Amino acid sequence: MNSAQIEIQLIASLVAIACAIPGTFLVLRKMAMISDAISHSILPGIVIGFFITHNLNSPLLILFAAFTGIITVVLVEYIQKTGLVKEDTAIGLVFPALFSIGVILIAKNANDVHLDVDAVLLGELAFAPFDRLLISGVDVGPKALWIIGIILLITVTLLIAFFKELKISTFDAGLAASLGFSPAIIHYGLMSVASVTTVGAFDAVGAILVVALMIAPAATAYLLTTDLKRMLALAISFGVLSAISGYWFAHWLDASIAGSITTMLGLIFLLVYLFAPNKGIIAVMYREKQQRTEVSLLTFLLHLKNHNEFEERHVNHLREHINWQKVRAKTVLELATKNNMIIVENNIVSLTEKGDKFTSKAIDYIITNEDAQIEDMKDDFFLFRG
Amino acid sequence: MDITEYFSLVFSDYTLRTITLGTAILGAVTGMLGSFAVLRKQSLLGDAISHAALPGIAIAFLITGAKDSNTLLLGALVSGLIGTFWIRGIVKKTHLKSDTALGLILSLFFGFGMLLLTFIQKQPNANQAGLDKYLFGQAATLVESDVWLMAIVTGLCLFVLLLFWKEFKILLFDADYTKTLGFNTKIIDILITSFIVLAIVLGLQTVGVVLMSAMLLAPAAAARQWTNSLSTMVLLAAVFGAFSGVFGTAISASQTNLSTGPVIVLVASVFVFFSFVFSPSRGLLFKQIRVIKNRRDLELHKTLSFMYHIAETHDNISHPHAIKLLNNFQGYTKSTLQKLVEKDYVKLEGKMWRLTETGFNTAANLYTKQSTDDE
Repeated sequence: MNSAQIEIQLIASLVAIACAIPGTFLVLRKMAMISDAISHSILPGIVIGFFITHNLNSPLLILFAAFTGIITVVLVEYIQKTGLVKEDTAIGLVFPALFSIGVILIAKNANDVHLDVDAVLLGELAFAPFDRLLISGVDVGPKALWIIGIILLITVTLLIAFFKELKISTFDAGLAASLGFSPAIIHYGLMSVASVTTVGAFDAVGAILVVALMIAPAATAYLLTTDLKRMLALAISFGVLSAISGYWFAHWLDASIAGSITTMLGLIFLLVYLFAPNKGIIAVMYREKQQRTEVSLLTFLLHLKNHNEFEERHVNHLREHINWQKVRAKTVLELATKNNMIIVENNIVSLTEKGDKFTSKAIDYIITNEDAQIEDMKDDFFLFRG
Repeated sequence: MDITEYFSLVFSDYTLRTITLGTAILGAVTGMLGSFAVLRKQSLLGDAISHAALPGIAIAFLITGAKDSNTLLLGALVSGLIGTFWIRGIVKKTHLKSDTALGLILSLFFGFGMLLLTFIQKQPNANQAGLDKYLFGQAATLVESDVWLMAIVTGLCLFVLLLFWKEFKILLFDADYTKTLGFNTKIIDILITSFIVLAIVLGLQTVGVVLMSAMLLAPAAAARQWTNSLSTMVLLAAVFGAFSGVFGTAISASQTNLSTGPVIVLVASVFVFFSFVFSPSRGLLFKQIRVIKNRRDLELHKTLSFMYHIAETHDNISHPHAIKLLNNFQGYTKSTLQKLVEKDYVKLEGKMWRLTETGFNTAANLYTKQSTDDE
């Protein structure tokens, strides 16, 4: 590994951390798409900043761009408040319009300078180490590293200082307001951080990767935990993991680093989405299947309780009368027998004492709908799952 | 070239005619389908789908090795559909909300597409140039066959829309009721979503990924302000969309260095702005005027009722009182007094005022109405 490679991985990791922190709160506050909007609508800010300073490296550019980001948020909120359209439509109207203005400004005025839309949207991490920061002639490292490092430092400081406020206002805005925290200040503070991070990061990695780094690690972490601190930690780890593995994947393929980091983020999300212990697709589908069987079992037990006639309690009757498929009838019968709810004699099903007691309780619950009744039943149901 | 020259050339010049027709048809079909997206609160779906289509384009190119635009569009369609249904799966099966799902699929698919594009660029096959026109769109690359394709899709879309109009409409406004009526909501849903994806994919080449979502939303959001009826809204959105396409093309053709996509989007945004401000029933302007008028009426009534309470204490309701008395009351101004005189509720005599019979009765009614409302 040469020093340029280390620097690229370092920049990518810092960007990942700087994005994961505001990203977590955006995902929790159901404002994930705002990051997409900001990442596009900062374009006119950059262009106008460039016209004023005539210098692509000026820090003023970052300020202008971040300011456009805030304007986007304010505009979206204003349009939404008029009640003419819903919030998502407001977002969808504002950022393409601002982006269009940016594209037109570039096309009309900045054709001869190095400022094209591709670079803004896609970024090129591989070139970041070539742009060095010189302080009185001494090379102190790549500029991108300094920019994102400073932004990260500010983000972390704000996070630690306002963790409690952020947490309360995210989960209970009403409580936060009644405790005397201004939800508006926290909201705009978060938006400013997201905006500044987007601007600082997109220069190195492009707008789309910023969005991916904000949303994907946070969403992945949210599938694994509901604890805020753990979610932040997980999101940061996923971000850094994809940044480094993505870099080597790109190195091996000789393709875009930003693209392959995003691909890694996607792979990690896919894995967690499928296999997460409680909220993964497979776990959810298994649970749904089990619940279906349990409901069937309950229906069946109630049926038995209501009928004393032999023909109503014949095994074959399950298929004819309750209209169950062969397989499902068999699973339900087996589950009930295993739990000593029923006995089957000569293909005639009858409730055992335990089954009878359980069914009475279930009817009681259905009639009264009192929570006290269901507590014991829950224990019985857990028995089914064995 | 200026605008008039453009309009004289549009019927004779092949390129101009193709582009104008193409953007007009595109605007009409996206406006039409966008109405459904907006009403179903899926406004940002367009943004997500247009990004999610990129890996499909790249994979289609990798498989066929050719830059045939129909094959690429097919790839875009497939990956757009995969993205859409994955978004739906995430929202349905996990506790992630729809905005997270949209942003996730949008950025992940697009990033993967970028990876594939850069990978393709490193291949020795020299045929790949121009794939990135799908990112930003280039209306100038439209040829007659593209326009035909758009027209056919629009016709198909219109046919299906008319055929299932009742189902679409009822699903839009009461999904649960639709289910209880025995309609297969899943199929209707898949049908409309597929058409939205198809329209977006068609527009990629013309206005590009980023601006496609605006094409879907803006005409529909503008049309929504003028009507409460679905059929009128769809029709209006189609008209707004088509006009945005034509005007956008005209403006960009009349200037150098002006790409068509962004101009079309800005024209559509102007439609939205105009509708937001000037629509008679929902628009901001008339709403503000109504607010001011209501406030004035309220102040007038407040002054009248204050006068009524003073007059009440006298046997003769028209007993004159000093205007000075009114100064104790906050809502009173010279102009409200003047208004009351105009309405013949009050008569002025020098520095005195007195209630007329009509004024007294109106105020009495006002008062009793209020008190019965209170009960």
